[in-house]
Amino acid sequence: MTNYAMTHDLKKCMGCGACLIACKIENNVTEGIKWLNYETKTTGKFPNVSYEVQLNQCNHCDNAPCTRVCPTRAMHKRRDTGLTLHNPKRCVGCRACMVACPYDAISFNRYEPHAMFKDDQALVPGGTSSGRELTSRMEGAPPIPTYNPALNQNYLGIRKKGLVEKCTFCSHRLARGQQPRCVEACPAGARLLGDLDDPVDPIHELIARYPSKVRMPEQGTKPKVIYLRNYGY
Amino acid sequence: MIKTTRRNVLKASALAAGAAAIGNSLPTLKALALDTYPNDTQEGGRWVSTSCQGCTTWCSAQIYVLNGRGIRVRGNPNAKTGVGNLCPRGQLVLQQVYDPDRVKTPMKRTNPRKGRNEDPRFVPISWDEAADMIADQLIELRQNKESHKLWVMRGRYSHMHHLLYDHFPKIIGSPNNISHSSICAEAEKVGAYFTERNWGYRDYDLLNTRYLLAWGCDPVSSNRLVPFSIHALGRIQEKGKIACVDPRLSTTGAKADDWLPVIPGEDGALALAMAHVILTEGLWYKPFVGDFTDGENHFVAGRPVDENTFEEKETYGLVKWWNLEVKDRTPEWAEQVCGVAREQIYKVARDMAEAAPRVCVWNGPTMWPNGSYASLAIQALSGLVGAPDSFGGHTGGSPGGPKHGPNSMADFQDDLAKEGTKHEKIDQRGRLEWPNLARGRSGSGVNTNRVADAVLAEDPYDIKVALIYFANLNFSCTGTDRWDRAMAKIPFSAHITTHYGEMSHFSDLVLPVAQHMMERWAYTSQKTRMYTHISIQQPVHERIFDVKNDETEITWMIAEKLADKGFPNLLNYYKTYKDPETGAAPTSGEEFAIFALKSYTKNIWDPTGEKQGDTLNGWQDFVEKGVWNSIKYPYKQRWGGKFGGETGKFEFYSETLKAGLQGHADRHGVSVDRVMEACRYSARGEKAFIPHYDQPRREGDPRQFPLMLIDAKSRFNREGRSQNCSWYYEFKGLDPGDLDQEDVIKINPVDAQRLNLRDGSQVRVTSASGQPITCMLKVWEGVRPGVAQKYFGQGHWAMGRHAAKEFLKTPRGGNNNTLMHADWDHLSGSTARNGGFCRVRIEMI
Repeated sequence: MTNYAMTHDLKKCMGCGACLIACKIENNVTEGIKWLNYETKTTGKFPNVSYEVQLNQCNHCDNAPCTRVCPTRAMHKRRDTGLTLHNPKRCVGCRACMVACPYDAISFNRYEPHAMFKDDQALVPGGTSSGRELTSRMEGAPPIPTYNPALNQNYLGIRKKGLVEKCTFCSHRLARGQQPRCVEACPAGARLLGDLDDPVDPIHELIARYPSKVRMPEQGTKPKVIYLRNYGY
Repeated sequence: MIKTTRRNVLKASALAAGAAAIGNSLPTLKALALDTYPNDTQEGGRWVSTSCQGCTTWCSAQIYVLNGRGIRVRGNPNAKTGVGNLCPRGQLVLQQVYDPDRVKTPMKRTNPRKGRNEDPRFVPISWDEAADMIADQLIELRQNKESHKLWVMRGRYSHMHHLLYDHFPKIIGSPNNISHSSICAEAEKVGAYFTERNWGYRDYDLLNTRYLLAWGCDPVSSNRLVPFSIHALGRIQEKGKIACVDPRLSTTGAKADDWLPVIPGEDGALALAMAHVILTEGLWYKPFVGDFTDGENHFVAGRPVDENTFEEKETYGLVKWWNLEVKDRTPEWAEQVCGVAREQIYKVARDMAEAAPRVCVWNGPTMWPNGSYASLAIQALSGLVGAPDSFGGHTGGSPGGPKHGPNSMADFQDDLAKEGTKHEKIDQRGRLEWPNLARGRSGSGVNTNRVADAVLAEDPYDIKVALIYFANLNFSCTGTDRWDRAMAKIPFSAHITTHYGEMSHFSDLVLPVAQHMMERWAYTSQKTRMYTHISIQQPVHERIFDVKNDETEITWMIAEKLADKGFPNLLNYYKTYKDPETGAAPTSGEEFAIFALKSYTKNIWDPTGEKQGDTLNGWQDFVEKGVWNSIKYPYKQRWGGKFGGETGKFEFYSETLKAGLQGHADRHGVSVDRVMEACRYSARGEKAFIPHYDQPRREGDPRQFPLMLIDAKSRFNREGRSQNCSWYYEFKGLDPGDLDQEDVIKINPVDAQRLNLRDGSQVRVTSASGQPITCMLKVWEGVRPGVAQKYFGQGHWAMGRHAAKEFLKTPRGGNNNTLMHADWDHLSGSTARNGGFCRVRIEMI
């Protein structure tokens, strides 16, 4: 069995956002929704001020409340990987999962996703382009310019209005033996996905080496995004 | 915290080595073989090599192209300058290129009246018509013997810029090739040039440094070496320390062991006090600086020292500098001036000196009136700790690369062109009040932001035709209202741009350009991580719109039209760029682009070309790998009197600056003191040649304008070009203190209470002689009291649907350059942006 977990080294993280943008591209995430999100915190008084950035995402909890409240089992745990995944074919958009998730890691498609690429609005008529024209000129007329078809293999290329969506740890990439895109795109090398069930996985060394914490351990969710060290001085 | 024991240090370094490898090649996971996952391992796309010019790091990069579209971006793994990854700017490029608001066709103005509130009534035209219009203008200038009234403006550029920026105007007959450099960084270069003769950026040996002093910059967000800094900063702290000088808390400041929130523009006082501590406590790095001949330290506060008692090694003028300036610049004095506590000055100076010579003094922009001397003072610190060319310090030049560059254009300049280029340049450089001492030569540096005033005053003459590429001066220069008036005044201007910029609004022609990273053939060169690279740019897939390469294809079309109209010189020059492999001359703009690139870079990709570094196996190998790497920069390359300059040494007393200023004074038949006076520096006598405290100039009565405005560069700024990306606004809150989807000006809670301003309000910000802007107020502890901080880049009223609140009508947020008046650091010609030179008032709307 495989039991995926991710480490995020806050000391190495510079809060630059490369992972956040790469995640949006990789997973065809529409404007207004973030699978990978962040919070900032400023404490103290000038000049003794500290500032930190913490990334948030689905924690792929071992004890995932979203799966327990889902009436259709759209939110489910994979026993073979430990991933918490969402099956949009079963999802009815009731949003019970969003209420249950203490991490605010699930998003609801309130609007038609990527609507900008379906309209014909040109700011300078005849001179500038429009969303529809842009995509229609591209090879294969993709639904969005950076459309990644791999999402269709085990999720849904672009999620639909009225349904929820969330981070999959890039399960489409895990299928190819690749790290999640946020890990790959991080210029600091702050992130790593590993298998907790594999005793020689490098993730164990990181967790053993550094002080680590998870978000809201008191919730009993057994989250699997593990934060190492501290962001600020 | 882990206790620092030797055992832990060793463990940490072993891990750091492993982690460094992770940065470049991630461990491969066992592929899942599950029923729900298709068993394919190949996506069918490929990584195409190119270069990112979202800032001046100029990373070698790659785009993953699948089905004719780019869907991922990464650092080029073949580049030794990189870490295999890019900063967020690199990721943003896909939205910049695939933007529905891009200009898709040449457009011409049909409303002859020009102004902010005039609708230009642009209509689409063909490239042929556009090139014809430009050629007609150029021919007319030449017929009237007014070829000098052509102005070619370059913003960002490739290394093939000569083809448009330099040789194009010279062959037509104009001296006016104007670059954007002095709205970018020239004051910063003063520090490095007049101490160690490097008119350019430094490369920092971050992986080996033990002390990083980030001065007025946030290397993980801006300036240079951004992805490398993101990679290195956390690792530096595993073995060393970081200090950050900045009136606002940046990411580096938040990470630093010491944050020194200096009063804006008073950095010179702080740097001099650190020098004072290092000297009086005998902490300078003796293998670089030398020592007193008797081995005793005679640097005592307030007391002059006999120059003959000190024997310098790699430096020059230390005791002169001490006697003229440093002896009186105590931390006790500086504390009152710069607002940093004396204890912190002592601590940082001592910590830094203890790490010598493995110290990186990262000198930020210092772009404020009189900023040159602060820049010199900061750079001088690096000399005291022996950092230049040291292991863990910084480097100057490049380790020596192959020759690459343009063909000679001398044979193609006719007499008329030679006459035309003799006219004074439009930016007034070299006049008494404009020494612009780039590389120490009078009038050799550009005066970008002065062009608006020169155009308006027709001094030295009126500009009739302007060609502007990769620049948007009506947005990016301070005093934007002057630019609106200047561009409205120019009879014919063409704006070569990806988007409808503020400058387009005043243009007669708008020409859609191929985006540099994904749509054109060109190359760039830069140094990072102790290597220099030469990195290709190429179209990563078929162009979506009918766009053309500024420096090659557009120029070719104009050259063809000029030849049709009886002036073949430009075309004949371009035809000298033959394909080095076949000997064929170009017959089209597309061929010209590729042949010129192959010709410029022949020594790089030709295995027989002379070079120190990689050997590439021919042109195709260069296209695929995308990059050539130099050998590693050798440490101590410039030691032993090889710094160049007047003395060959690292100069604390700058004979090089003295020669430059004297040259300028001689040109005008005046004294150096008169030059100092005309340029509004306080220094007289020998102080003009040393790092000294020169009081910063601020505009605005403090009673009416109680806050000093400082700006900073957003980590998402692909210069001013990424604000139409939705991701820019979705993640804007990652600029410390900022908020997603907003443009905020930030002040300390103390000031908010004093001025009765409420967090989250919409506010109007006013300065003494700039134009007011509106944005949101953020009350934040990370700003020094008395200071208002706002990132630049927002406040577009043109560009597109995300950048502007209402296209051509209402800006989204406010542009700092509208608020800031035009002022300069005259020694360098730098436009002032930093140092709190502009005081502001904030009022709730």
